[in-house]
Amino acid sequence: MIKDITIGQYFPGTSPIHKLDPRMKIVLTFIYIIFIFLCRNFVAMGAMALLLLATVLMSKISPKLIWKSVKPIFLIVLITSALQLLYNSDGTVLFEWKRLHITTGGVYMAIFTTARIVVLVIASSMLTYTTSPTLLTDAIERLFSPLKVIKINVHSIAMMMTIALRFIPTLIDEVDKIMSAQKSRGADFETGSLIKRGKAMIPIFIPLFINSFRRAYELAFAMDCRCYQGGDGRTRLKVMKLAARDYASLGILVLFCVGIIVSNHYLTAVI
Amino acid sequence: MDNTNIVEFHNVTFCYDADEGEQQPEPAIRDFTFNVKKGEFVAVLGHNGSGKSTVAKLSNSILIPNEGKVLVKGMDTADEDLSYEIRKTVGVVFQNPDNQIVASIVEEDVAFGPENLGLPREEIRKRVDDSLKAVGMYEYRHHEPHKLSGGQKQRVAIAGIIAMRPECIFLDEPTAMLDPKGRKEVMDTVIKLNKEYGMSVVFITHFMEEAVLADRVAVIDNSRLLLEGTPKEVFKQEDLLRSVGLDIPQITNLAREMKKSGVKVDDSVLTLNEFVENITALLGDK
Repeated sequence: MIKDITIGQYFPGTSPIHKLDPRMKIVLTFIYIIFIFLCRNFVAMGAMALLLLATVLMSKISPKLIWKSVKPIFLIVLITSALQLLYNSDGTVLFEWKRLHITTGGVYMAIFTTARIVVLVIASSMLTYTTSPTLLTDAIERLFSPLKVIKINVHSIAMMMTIALRFIPTLIDEVDKIMSAQKSRGADFETGSLIKRGKAMIPIFIPLFINSFRRAYELAFAMDCRCYQGGDGRTRLKVMKLAARDYASLGILVLFCVGIIVSNHYLTAVI
Repeated sequence: MDNTNIVEFHNVTFCYDADEGEQQPEPAIRDFTFNVKKGEFVAVLGHNGSGKSTVAKLSNSILIPNEGKVLVKGMDTADEDLSYEIRKTVGVVFQNPDNQIVASIVEEDVAFGPENLGLPREEIRKRVDDSLKAVGMYEYRHHEPHKLSGGQKQRVAIAGIIAMRPECIFLDEPTAMLDPKGRKEVMDTVIKLNKEYGMSVVFITHFMEEAVLADRVAVIDNSRLLLEGTPKEVFKQEDLLRSVGLDIPQITNLAREMKKSGVKVDDSVLTLNEFVENITALLGDK
């Protein structure tokens, strides 16, 4: 059950989307998300959704995985659209029962917000699905390196992220092992009230934490042995270089963004 | 093998820090004098808690001796300004490969050391490829370390150290957590590094079968150097070894028992091959 965790999951591939410069991918995702919030009509939202669909198809990521990324937010989508349906009173009334009014405005809003949330989630999972965690942290380090000027140690933050990502599978294995060890000695994690089950977790987390500190200590030794001295003077095996496809993808996105601003001027806003 | 010493321990004593209020703890290593020559393969034997792991950490200034001196090519490990140069010369591989691997992709992890040295990109690429080939993990360069077997992970950890091109490598029980297959993989790799690449190797272990493959064996007991010599010299002293909780290789034991019951076998054999040769010669005589 624990192995289902999909944080930072990456699905290797050789598609053009995989090959985009990770820095560019972060910037593109960022711009895309901002402009999703600037969409005010269905035409703009539809265009952005189509753009995302094209990206998904190009990346050859299976629809199943896309569905997996959307599934956890299903409840949030349901609640927000229900609220929009119940409390929005714009437009003509479609259905009335006692104090309950459902209006066309409400229906539009419900569809619009659902689309917005789903598109947001798919867009951000596309970033992690198609970029290896190491490249992603590398890209973050490079993108934010100007922050050095205000004395933020970007390298350390990126290093911590790299190590955290590296140890996720190791610690998951460890939790599995500890759980089996406790179960074999009669621990019960599946029955009882929420509080009881929560308490049963304590004997899992204490050894996990103690072991993590021991691991950190040993890892620090190992890093010392390999002459780690922080980010200064470090070179890289992989050099990031913007290619034609990076500029092309940025161009396409900018085109869509201009389209959104124009459509906001001429079309009636839903939101 | 020439006679220059790469690492020299001069009367080293080391104590782990005492917690407040507790009495001064026993030193982990006491009055320890020991040298590693260029191109040499030394095994350090000792049972758990004998202080043998401390030796590895003292060798590249991760720990600094309380008394005595550790010199790496003449550089004193107590001098912090030299620790970078010292660690470039002496690499250490630890017991648990999981806690030594930094990156989520094999080749990126091997690149970690050379990256820290600030080498140009082409040089890093070359060293990563060479090191992975040397440990036989080149085909796995794009894999994720956590999906590899224990022996493979440990070989990646070794590649990460040799990518820095050290002259000497200390391995602190690198096989202790591995299954027999993984142990053999690591052992073969280490022997190859020593024989083909001329790297000095200090192999810390409690497996007798691994120690017999070395040029020289040092036995540590109760924080002190107990014995030092060629494997033949050391494993002759069966009683002394047994008295400190160590053993002799199984095959040597077998040969000795056979000799006791009247077979004219050479009881100083240390490896299976030697034993087989010996027996075949005996049978041939008849």
